[in-house]
Amino acid sequence: MDGLHDQVQDVFRRVFGDDALVIQEATTADDVPGWDSLMHINLIIAMEKRFGVKFATAEIARLKEEGQNVGILLTVLGSKLSRLKT
Amino acid sequence: MPPSDALLAALDAHLREMDAGQSGGTADLLRALRQAVDDGQIEQAADTLRRAIVPSLDYTTALTLSRLQREFGGRLAQSGEVVRIAVLSSFTASQLVRLVELFLFAAGVRCEIYQAEYGVFRQEVLDEGSELYRFRPRFLFLATSWRDLGHLPELSADAEAVNGLLDRELGSWAHLWHRAHARLQCQVIQNNFDAPAWRVLGNHEPRHPASRGRFMSRMNGRLVESAPPYVTIHDIDHLSALAGRWQWSDERFYHHAKLPCAPEFLVDYAHSVSSLIASQLGLGKKCLVLDLDNTLWGGVIGDDGLGGIRLGQGDGEGEAYQSFQRYVLDLGRRGVILAVCSKNEEATAREVFEKHTEMILRLPDIACFVANWQDKATNVRTIATRLNIGLNSMVFVDDNPMERSIVRRLVPEVAVPEMPEDPTGFVRALERHRYFQTVALNQEDLQRTEMYRANVERESAEASASNLDDFLRSLAMTARVAPIGAANLERATQLINRSNQFNLTTRRYSTGEIMQRVDDPNWLTLTVSLADRFGDNGLISVVMARGADGVLSIDTWIMSCRVLKRGVELFVLNRLARAASERGWSLLRGAYIPTAKNIIVRDHYEGLGFALVGPADNGGTLWELRLDTGWQETAVHIGEA
Repeated sequence: MDGLHDQVQDVFRRVFGDDALVIQEATTADDVPGWDSLMHINLIIAMEKRFGVKFATAEIARLKEEGQNVGILLTVLGSKLSRLKT
Repeated sequence: MPPSDALLAALDAHLREMDAGQSGGTADLLRALRQAVDDGQIEQAADTLRRAIVPSLDYTTALTLSRLQREFGGRLAQSGEVVRIAVLSSFTASQLVRLVELFLFAAGVRCEIYQAEYGVFRQEVLDEGSELYRFRPRFLFLATSWRDLGHLPELSADAEAVNGLLDRELGSWAHLWHRAHARLQCQVIQNNFDAPAWRVLGNHEPRHPASRGRFMSRMNGRLVESAPPYVTIHDIDHLSALAGRWQWSDERFYHHAKLPCAPEFLVDYAHSVSSLIASQLGLGKKCLVLDLDNTLWGGVIGDDGLGGIRLGQGDGEGEAYQSFQRYVLDLGRRGVILAVCSKNEEATAREVFEKHTEMILRLPDIACFVANWQDKATNVRTIATRLNIGLNSMVFVDDNPMERSIVRRLVPEVAVPEMPEDPTGFVRALERHRYFQTVALNQEDLQRTEMYRANVERESAEASASNLDDFLRSLAMTARVAPIGAANLERATQLINRSNQFNLTTRRYSTGEIMQRVDDPNWLTLTVSLADRFGDNGLISVVMARGADGVLSIDTWIMSCRVLKRGVELFVLNRLARAASERGWSLLRGAYIPTAKNIIVRDHYEGLGFALVGPADNGGTLWELRLDTGWQETAVHIGEA
């Protein structure tokens, strides 16, 4: 998961234009300045392009909801990637 | 000072990556840009950033560049007027607006964009107290989608009922255009309707009179047929087709965030809208400069000879070069000036055009042919001088990355698209940039190559004439003079909005504003078309002036540079003086307002015998000519048709 964490962090840095941005599993949308609903879409698009996956409409909405964090994003992404491999 | 090596190398790499559909390599470019800004090379950074903004950007990179543009924005003070654009949309348009701003920045346009809350576009137009009317935009973009159709028929509706619904649908849009234009004199940009991917009637959809698909395609037809000149129909349906309709309408983002299309395609969408605005501001390209070897044919003519180059039937690659030539020829026929810039012996290069049976392009299609061993940057400048056009109106096409890089470095004003190695991709490589976007096609466009070629012939006649007077007489020039009217409105509008050099005040006007002046009895408008023994130059001069209290004030005086030094200015002055005297105006007044491009007319009024009377706006000068104290017309070698 460490490799994935770094790659996701790279995507965050590009999308938010902040080379020093550090994300952790517990990071939520409230912790990252500018992570509003528009930025959320930008993030999803960048993730999809970077990893070659697609998020379902419900996932797109859920990942921004209260109580969600980067850890959950990593889990969702990880399971999509493992399904891609098999 | 040209951009640094680091900037140019990063730019080349970035353009290559974007063209290849890669993403993520902007880091080097960003670093180079920030370094340049830190080093105080603001202009070089701005210039490089501008050229990095291409329609092949992926969404994330485009937003990254947009952030940079906004961050540097204050420091990249651009000259020129601020163009006000209102965007009224039925969907979430924030990203689209950002990207439009980005592409307009790339085109050199300073803009201020007003974006209304989504979904209230009708109210904004119909409510005279709305923010739209306070903002007073020059362009109003009605960003709608197929979901805004309000009169879709039931499947059971008969043909007559469908016709009635079409009329009502069109009427509801025309009403908005009319209301907005009547109060704002703005140019309206209206999306047509992007057909969804799904069709409940399947193959029968386009045939059934009351199907959604049939209704929408008829509606799109009605839009272009009935839109007045002040309305530009933006063909978003074509964008959707280019993207592939299922890809375009990624419904996840409509349902989740009310985006009009998949975010990835917002980049091309914004580029398309921006290209329409830039074109109407006179920033479209005019001239295509073409390399020969491995661009118009496969192989090197100097080495391979006439029989050895790959061109034409029987060989896939040879046919691809021929297809590209056919595309280029079609561009020429619609008014793009074609030029050749090749490293070759001139006679060898010309021989292909004269003798190769598979050539589609022939010498008469090329307005300016330059083949020699000089560097291409110098030759591109030579072509600009010979054709008398601005470097920023040229597109340089070359298969060789080295040549592209050299021209990017030494002639930064010229657009240099990435070209793929396979000639099959050449057409697309050019098309995607929308260099030659236009909102109207007129007689001048259709004859342009011929006009420019005639000009080159004129120049050789001038070189052989013993003096200027003899030369002008030998041209046998005749002029047609007419006020601005329906017959020449498109061309007059084009000149007013595109001319930069011979333009005394560089005031830009929409079709609506021009028609207002035409209809006002206090205004005098005048156009001149010029023909001579080499051909017809078409409409080449426009003047608009306002008379009051015995004074005729010249608001706008424009002439095409291809008829410089022929006495047209004197001819126009004579006509203005005559018209003024007839109406009892005894004083002509005109201003010269300097811009970066119109130095050529700094002494225009002085040369015509006007007296300097004081300063004018923006560091300009104000001039007057009394007509009632013995002023006389100067004879010119221009007859009247």
